Amino acid sequence: MLGNSIEDGDFMTTGQTMLTLGAFMFLTTILMNFYQVLGGTGDTIQNGQDGILATTIATSYKEIARGLAFDEFSDTCSSAIRNVTALTSPLHLRREAGEDSLAAFNDIDDLNGFEVEKQAIGSVVRYHTRFTVYYVDPDNIDHYSSVQTFTKRLDMKTWRVYPPVLDPTQIDTMRTTMVMGYFHFN
Amino acid sequence: MSAFLDVIAAMLFGGALFGIILDSNDLAAETQMVYNGDMMVQQMLTSTVQLVEGELRNIGFGLPSAQPAIRLADSTSMTFLSDIDRDGSVDTIAYSVGAVSEIASTPNELDRFLKRSVNHEGIQNIGVVTLFSLRYFTQSGALLPTPVPSSRVSEIYTVELTVEVQNPVAPARDPSMVKAGERDALYSSSLWQQTRLASQNNRR
Repeated sequence: MLGNSIEDGDFMTTGQTMLTLGAFMFLTTILMNFYQVLGGTGDTIQNGQDGILATTIATSYKEIARGLAFDEFSDTCSSAIRNVTALTSPLHLRREAGEDSLAAFNDIDDLNGFEVEKQAIGSVVRYHTRFTVYYVDPDNIDHYSSVQTFTKRLDMKTWRVYPPVLDPTQIDTMRTTMVMGYFHFN
Repeated sequence: MSAFLDVIAAMLFGGALFGIILDSNDLAAETQMVYNGDMMVQQMLTSTVQLVEGELRNIGFGLPSAQPAIRLADSTSMTFLSDIDRDGSVDTIAYSVGAVSEIASTPNELDRFLKRSVNHEGIQNIGVVTLFSLRYFTQSGALLPTPVPSSRVSEIYTVELTVEVQNPVAPARDPSMVKAGERDALYSSSLWQQTRLASQNNRR
């Protein structure tokens, strides 16, 4: 017969106490896991929205870049450039004096080294974007070219700066690439 | 006496456990509904904007560079030219939003159809949105007033489009928690904003 029944009027034995504590620990573990799963799902959903916003921001910059001239020289030259060395040197791919915002840029080189922060509409979330522009080999656009070519590549990195990502292992940077070739309408 | 205390203690613990489990169940159900709503609006948004984005990218395609690609530009509607079927003839594409009364059957009082027509033939509902807002900018970045006067349509350099989608049905909030001006349900929302060139021929 089990001891410590109500009839016996005994206090709970150590075994019962341990069993109760064990049950509570088990329940606590289940609850913690449960809330962790809930939180994780929320993070996944939020990452989806972040991805949508980051994509729209990066695509907007890409579109703005598409509207820019291929080169500072081609922006002001009305005839077709046939000599590739007439283009800006790879070492001088940067914005000129007075070009301090996207609206002031006239050629894609101006984006090299440019950084901008944008707040997503309807939220407090802010995204930072860093631009890099360089010449690439027209036969292999993954290859950096140290000399002028008629092909340039724009790399963009977009990531959330506010609110900051809490989990350092979480990948939050979206990389986007655009290749621009020189052309001229006669 | 001690047995009685044991029973009381067991009841207290049991009650607490029962309360925790009930709370967890409620929370799980509500969170599940909210997350489902979030996921649904993200899917609705991306499927709707895929079409819009594709066509906006081709504004002015097949059009002589001197001809303005945008015909009508308002804050919630736009008509532009583009040879979307690549048959050599330029098509007229119109986007607009319908009235909220068209979807009065859903509890969400803000949702409305996003409409599209090609060459003024048969208006199609291509999605349900709660916001479809357009802004137009000049090359120097100046915001144009809407509706853009026909004399200034050729000044449009970029178009900024904002789309918001909310779920048509959402879990109701506790009426005692709803303050004045607040909505009575936990609607999920997903936003999309993009800037597009009014014409790819407009490169500097």
